[in-house]
Amino acid sequence: MTSVQIPAAQPKAPSLAARARDVIAFEWTKLRSVRSNSITLLIAAVVTIGASAVVAHSVASTGKPLPGGLSALTASFLAYAEYAVIPVSVLAVLQFTSEYSTGLIRTTFAAVPRRWALLAGKAAVVGAAALLTGEALAFACFALAQAILAGRHRGLSLAQPGVPGAVLAAGFVLCACALTALGLAAIFRHTAGAITAALAAIYLVGGLCLFLPAPWKADIGRFTMAFAASQVVALHPQAGLFSPGASMLVLVAWPAGALLAAGLVTARRDV
Amino acid sequence: MTMIELNRLTKRFGRVTAVDDLSFTVHPGQVTGFLGPNGAGKSTTMRIILGLDAPTSGTALIAGRRYQQIVRPLREVGSLLDATAVHGGRTAHDHLMSVALSNGIGRSRVMMVLELTGLSAVARQRIRGFSLGMKQRLGIATALLGEPRVLMFDEPVNGLDADGVRWIRLLLRQLAADGHTVLVSSHLMSEMALTADHLIIIGRGRLLADTPTDRLTKSSGRADVLVRSPRVTELAALLTANGAAVTAEDGGLAVTGLAAPAIADLAAQHGIAVHELAPRQPSLEQAYLDLTAASTDYRAAVEASESGASR
Repeated sequence: MTSVQIPAAQPKAPSLAARARDVIAFEWTKLRSVRSNSITLLIAAVVTIGASAVVAHSVASTGKPLPGGLSALTASFLAYAEYAVIPVSVLAVLQFTSEYSTGLIRTTFAAVPRRWALLAGKAAVVGAAALLTGEALAFACFALAQAILAGRHRGLSLAQPGVPGAVLAAGFVLCACALTALGLAAIFRHTAGAITAALAAIYLVGGLCLFLPAPWKADIGRFTMAFAASQVVALHPQAGLFSPGASMLVLVAWPAGALLAAGLVTARRDV
Repeated sequence: MTMIELNRLTKRFGRVTAVDDLSFTVHPGQVTGFLGPNGAGKSTTMRIILGLDAPTSGTALIAGRRYQQIVRPLREVGSLLDATAVHGGRTAHDHLMSVALSNGIGRSRVMMVLELTGLSAVARQRIRGFSLGMKQRLGIATALLGEPRVLMFDEPVNGLDADGVRWIRLLLRQLAADGHTVLVSSHLMSEMALTADHLIIIGRGRLLADTPTDRLTKSSGRADVLVRSPRVTELAALLTANGAAVTAEDGGLAVTGLAAPAIADLAAQHGIAVHELAPRQPSLEQAYLDLTAASTDYRAAVEASESGASR
């Protein structure tokens, strides 16, 4: 027994930060390397800004007080909610469902076997992309709509109290919707089902509450994403619903809940 | 020694037992063929080794650890389960780059595996337009990214043309010669006969054989000698008298119990002309079919009786 065993050089275990960086680089590369992702975002941006301009112009040209409690601020975001939330949520859904439908998910989980880490990395990348897109669109829509309204001396400026916060919150709404959609996508795995679930969570639950009788409408409705979103972007929030601050928590709770459920399901499921 | 060790691995899907108390070890330095009829549990076993499916009981370890415990696992284990499981909208380069980044592997290695698999020229093209052979190469490039010591390929030659099959066979042999641990599944014995040094054969999720390839034919004991002669009746009587067992076959004699030289000597001593004298090894194919016959028959019967019932 004279031979000396030389152990194979073990590379130093990478730090937690390095491993987090790996997963984020992985997910970011996947997101940016599919051309349809960036094209979708671009089209969503153009259509949203264009529609914002149309809404603002229509509001400006009536010459009457804004109908139905519509403020000059929310007018900026009407189009934004419809035209940006849907494509961005679908984009978020596809980040999971396209991997399940192609089978790429097996390569993904072989590369990153810690499924909570993978989910966190996907959420970080999709969330960041949606937040940046959301804030850029919110400020662009606001600036454009107010420029059009200013011609009628009905515009707002960012210097007015409450306005910057409302615009920032509008950008965050897109991020909340995208992350809720991402979590539901991990749970449902199939594109059609996940999109249906995401749109139900974002729109239909709130829409249904509009038809509830008086006390319930507000009592239940204030927990929905749609009601909460309208509260955080309003300069004069409706009474009876949660305050903008509490509504912000509702907008955090939905994606957090969806992602938590996604993690619990994904961690123990065979792929 | 980096090896794959399965210890009493079992996986049930509802009432179906896909992997049944399976134990074996895959050693480095050789190509280990993982054989079994379709539906024998090969892919399920590989998914469990990779931590994709959770076993019902038992363990699958790589160098003593579960796959999920390995930090940056692609640097230790490379795998190809399904070459078509890629996103068609990405280029080959971007696909490899994303997987490389997930395990802290640099761009230079991406370029190297593209070169190694002959994909450099198409690296900037979308995978959507790739042939199956090119996707297979891309899958192997992905498996090799992290310079892993353990490699696992599920049916890598399925659907490939002759050149592609040859390329993969040479690559597997080269990897084994370099000391890698190589596990390759197939349902085709003919392919494994040319590639594998060692065979693990399963049927219905159970281990049927764990043996060096060349020993599988010897142990099956069906070797004989085919003899043709114009005086076949006389020769048959002569051989039987000398302790051989003889059966008529295709105008000649299939002889067991006497080796070819002994048969030739006997015939010469008695002046009987011999026109053909051919020692025959049972084919690996036959040995494999004998082994798996029971499990395939059972499966066919079960499927027939359960036809129409969903899993």
